[in-house]
Amino acid sequence: MNSAMKARSILAALFLATTAAGGAMAQDKVSVTTEAAVAATEVPADAVVVNIDKLKYETPDLTVKVGDTVYWVNKEAMPHNVEFVKGVVNEGGLKGPMLKRDQAYAITFNEAGTFDYHCTPHPFMRGKVTVE
Amino acid sequence: MAHPRYLLPVFRASLLGLGMTCSSLALGTATAQEATADDAALTSAGVTRNDGESQGAAGARTAAADLAAGKDDEPHILEAPAPDSRRVYVNDPAHFAAITQQFVIDGDDGRVIGMTDGGFLPNPVVADDGSIFAQASTVFSRIARGERTDYVEVFDSKTFQPIADIELPNTPRFLVGTYPWMTSLTPDNKTLLFYQFSPAPAVGVVDLEGKKFGRMLDVPDCYHMFPTAADTFFMHCRDGSLAKVKFAAEGEPEITHTEVFHPEDEYLINHPAFSTKAGRLVWPTYTGKIYQVDLSSGDAKFMEPIEALTEEERSQDWRPGGWQQVAYHRGSDRIYLLVDQRDQWRHKTASRFVVVVDAKTGERVSKIEMGHEIDSINVSQDEKPLLYGLSTGTSTLHIYDAESGEELRSVDQLGRGPQVITTADMG
Repeated sequence: MNSAMKARSILAALFLATTAAGGAMAQDKVSVTTEAAVAATEVPADAVVVNIDKLKYETPDLTVKVGDTVYWVNKEAMPHNVEFVKGVVNEGGLKGPMLKRDQAYAITFNEAGTFDYHCTPHPFMRGKVTVE
Repeated sequence: MAHPRYLLPVFRASLLGLGMTCSSLALGTATAQEATADDAALTSAGVTRNDGESQGAAGARTAAADLAAGKDDEPHILEAPAPDSRRVYVNDPAHFAAITQQFVIDGDDGRVIGMTDGGFLPNPVVADDGSIFAQASTVFSRIARGERTDYVEVFDSKTFQPIADIELPNTPRFLVGTYPWMTSLTPDNKTLLFYQFSPAPAVGVVDLEGKKFGRMLDVPDCYHMFPTAADTFFMHCRDGSLAKVKFAAEGEPEITHTEVFHPEDEYLINHPAFSTKAGRLVWPTYTGKIYQVDLSSGDAKFMEPIEALTEEERSQDWRPGGWQQVAYHRGSDRIYLLVDQRDQWRHKTASRFVVVVDAKTGERVSKIEMGHEIDSINVSQDEKPLLYGLSTGTSTLHIYDAESGEELRSVDQLGRGPQVITTADMG
């Protein structure tokens, strides 16, 4: 098994685990694919990716389909994350882990809608995912 | 009802009063026989102008005279004297402690005339007419953890009693080292504006007159609030422009941007001076270049930048540094800037000098050697201003004649790390 396949397996397992646990989070409109940051090398080649660089989400206005998984990949040394405030993807809000350079974080969008997010320590960094 | 919080200032004032009386009496017994009839005429508060005799000695002398005259001791809760332009507020963020204090001082006498308690990194404001002072504060149900409550507290300027306690929903305060212009009063003193950093830039509107929280205004990626009218304030934006924000009771605020007025590699300090009455914004950079914006018309008019330090001084590593590094005196149109010789990145260390600059011409008026490690400065706004120099390291407020630079008096024991000086522009 090459590292990419292995990563996919791990990600799939994490996805399943999250989905299985999702019964307790019925209100969530997303599934967290990777609870912790993973190496960017583990992002599938055909994944939908939002790179982060120069204090910006490079694709701040992204449109995907229901069921798509979006990966955010930090390309710079300054740590960044994605945070959805309360009520956007669930009642309690979702604060992703801080990503160091070349780390990734993924979320699967399960429902249609527009989901605004920002970087926790850099609230001027904003983006949105429109799910069709 | 949070009665205990309301009662604290009363208890404090009461205890202070008792303490002063008791110690004065104890001291007084030794000198009672030397008391004169004139001394007996002094009140039991007994503190007169700082004319050479210490306040403690004056208090003791008065108490001795009272005793000699057979006057009964009647402990009571004092009121502070009516606010005037020499009253000065010193806020102690106490190096990020969960609770904090503010000292209210008569700058003329160098006398503490009262105190207020605050929570975590409160933002103090003082009405220019002296009628009230207030703070946006934060407390937790278990000292520094548990449920968080943000609120605005308004104090009567003489009794120091809280006359309003307004809760701010969803704990929106920006918890940061105290920047005076992160919480502001509108010129009519009816509205308090506070900044929210996270999760998105916003400004909270608090109706002090109606004693209720108004709403949050969504604003661009901009910081600080400089109010110019009851419904208008300016902010400084990440892109180097100012934003003018005009708001109504409802609806989206009307936001317009000025031109970008400084390049990206010129760093404007976190403690600009702003005179609400003059509409003058005075904003130094790390090198002592000073941008001034005239907001008096309700629109931003950028003045020609001036250099507070000479080319020779700059070549010898003179740079501004400290916390409140700049003060502006409206009547004389003068700028005061804390400076010293320092490395470029020691911009928050104390300074030992203040340069005084004519704001209109940029010409140097004087360079004052403060004689102490000073972190923050401000001035009284009367005709012959006092220059206040606050040392965070020694918790001491040094009070100077702003014209001559002579140190007149000082007040020590101002908490653990006092940083912010606020005055009212009552003229």
